[in-house]
Amino acid sequence: MGVVTLIRAAGLAIALTAALAFAAPAQAGLRVVAATTDLAAIATAVGGDLVSVETIVPAAVDPEAFEPRPGDFEKIRSAGLLVRVGLGYDFWLDKLVRQTGDARLMRGGETYVDASTGIPLLEVSGQSVINEGGHAHGVANPHYWLDPENAKIVSAGIAEGLARVLPGERARVAANRERFVADLDRAIARWSAQLAPVAGVKLVAYHNSWPYFARRFRLDVTDFIEPKPGVAPSPAQLAHLVAAGKKAGVRAVVHEPYEPEDAARFVAQKLGVPFVLLATSAGSVPEAKDYFAMFDHNVAALAKALGVPTQ
Amino acid sequence: MIALSDALSFLLYPFAASVAFVLIHAYLGVHVLRRNIVFADLALAQLSALGATVAFAFGYAPASPAGFAYAFAFTTLGALLLTATRALARFVSQEAFVGILYVAATAATVLVVDRSPQGAEHVKKILIGSILTVEPPELIKFAVLYGAIGLLHWFARRPMLAVATEAEPAGRSPLAVSLWDFLFFLSFGVVVTSSVTTAGVLLVFSFLIVPAVIGSMYSRAVPGVLAIAWAAGIVASALGLAGSFVLDLPTGAAMVVAFVLVLVLAGLAKALMFVPAAQRRRNGRIAANAAAVLALVAVLASSLWLIFNPGADQPLLAMLERATGLGPASFLDGTDRASYQEANRDAARFQQEVASLNAKERAARVGSPLSDEEVRRVASYQQSFNEMARGELFVEDVLRAKARRRERWMVGLPAAVLTLAGLGLLMRRWGRHA
Repeated sequence: MGVVTLIRAAGLAIALTAALAFAAPAQAGLRVVAATTDLAAIATAVGGDLVSVETIVPAAVDPEAFEPRPGDFEKIRSAGLLVRVGLGYDFWLDKLVRQTGDARLMRGGETYVDASTGIPLLEVSGQSVINEGGHAHGVANPHYWLDPENAKIVSAGIAEGLARVLPGERARVAANRERFVADLDRAIARWSAQLAPVAGVKLVAYHNSWPYFARRFRLDVTDFIEPKPGVAPSPAQLAHLVAAGKKAGVRAVVHEPYEPEDAARFVAQKLGVPFVLLATSAGSVPEAKDYFAMFDHNVAALAKALGVPTQ
Repeated sequence: MIALSDALSFLLYPFAASVAFVLIHAYLGVHVLRRNIVFADLALAQLSALGATVAFAFGYAPASPAGFAYAFAFTTLGALLLTATRALARFVSQEAFVGILYVAATAATVLVVDRSPQGAEHVKKILIGSILTVEPPELIKFAVLYGAIGLLHWFARRPMLAVATEAEPAGRSPLAVSLWDFLFFLSFGVVVTSSVTTAGVLLVFSFLIVPAVIGSMYSRAVPGVLAIAWAAGIVASALGLAGSFVLDLPTGAAMVVAFVLVLVLAGLAKALMFVPAAQRRRNGRIAANAAAVLALVAVLASSLWLIFNPGADQPLLAMLERATGLGPASFLDGTDRASYQEANRDAARFQQEVASLNAKERAARVGSPLSDEEVRRVASYQQSFNEMARGELFVEDVLRAKARRRERWMVGLPAAVLTLAGLGLLMRRWGRHA
């Protein structure tokens, strides 16, 4: 290859890079980076066209088994606002943020939003290995986004964060949030009405992911098939589960995505009740495309399994 | 308490599945031991998992015909690659190649799952398995499949064993050897692929290797090895399942431990019972000496640890305390003992409070509901109780350290002196015998 060809090739490469750089879409507003799809959905609703929202854990990946990749570091470093689940659920985020060395992204920083702030927490227990904010206060069940009422609190936290970063847009953010809350209120009324006929129904779940969902829709999750994630149930435990479930009148077995179904299907079959796969996050099952669709799907699936006549 | 009939109804199918697994896996294990590639099952199982994951990425369920075809295609590829390892065995151990195949397949699976996350569930299933929830239709499938493969191996037993045992079998062309190798790995792959989703990789490995090892300890001829392997495998399965039920343990892990336990017992029995009388006496002496030295060294190390670092964790001492009921409280004076016992009681009480608040909130979900404010109050009470319990545990730790500082002279020193004397005595006796 001659020198001329080399120079030509280099020139072409530069031209291509420049073209690509210009072809990239112009930055649509503030970059909001959310840990999960649920928080991303709420941030999108509150930010509207002021923000472009990115998610770290992709839809349909188990957030508790997530392994960050190099691109995530880049995402976080360039974030205008970072929204996290907190409560030790997305503990891997701490390390990534520390590596950026950007104090604004850290706890108490201007662009940091811990969405769990202000949530009425359930099942606060003493066994925490995660030391949040320098004082170990035990840790609560982290699945608070599964109560749609909590989305209002989360949206307030995000709105506050956006107003901090974009002080001039405070009014627009507030209007967006009001619209989101109004939409949510209408949907909650619909979901509650759909599940009202089965209030107090007894269920068995695979993991303890549903306390917030159960509180909102008045469900009684009496037992878990795998109370310690990753430790398979013992035969005595399963036998007890089936015996107690029969006695209590359990009417369905609820299962989370990403987990093997054998044990849950087995218990459902022994109890003679339906097996229901519910989404734990927007996008974790194909039907639950976004935050609202997740509840649409969960509520409809549960209602159908429990024999509620469709309205 | 769970009735025995309940236990039987829960353990019958898993036991039947275990027997089927033992029969076919122990036989294949004999081959695998002779071929010196004990991890080939992991490599093949992982390749079939990769196949299933790829199928999932293309939108087929793992249980569908297409899903099975993908898994089978990848298993066949694995069998081909393993067949090629015989040629490599001249340069380096075949096991190295098997290991590389395993990690490559595992990493590829992770990368495919990353693109098509719904496959993750299947990968998890292969890791853990769920032998407890096996159903009659699966049992029939296993019986038919393993029966067919067993029959194939029965008819081909001579060439199969010859190629397993010798590096270059006499009187067989390289092509024939490769063909038999391929047939072996393919049937092996099919068996492992079917068992691993039910039993998980750990348990399948135990089914494969442990009975074959026990059989090989006691016999050289294949029929003898097999008979002993099958008996040992079935006993270990029954032991593991029963232990899992009685002791309330996860079934797969309990069974693996039971297999290893049976292996250890078989090894001890071999050394102490199934040898000529003179050898038996010698082995008995060696075993007794080794056990005594181990016990004495453990006690000596523990007492020295207590003397030099009384505030640290003392695992052996804690075990002794639990067994005798003589806790640190016995080594404290009046007021300290009272505070220790009080801290103990209070920590338990505070933890109880947290649990009862949980129960109350749980009941309210379906009873008269708690407002957000009330839930927040419950959570803050729980946090306070947690912190108080933590405080009491801290008091316990401080007082326990104080007690241990006394124990080091009252317990640690005498124990150290006694064990040293015991060790010296053993050494002298040993010297006389040698």
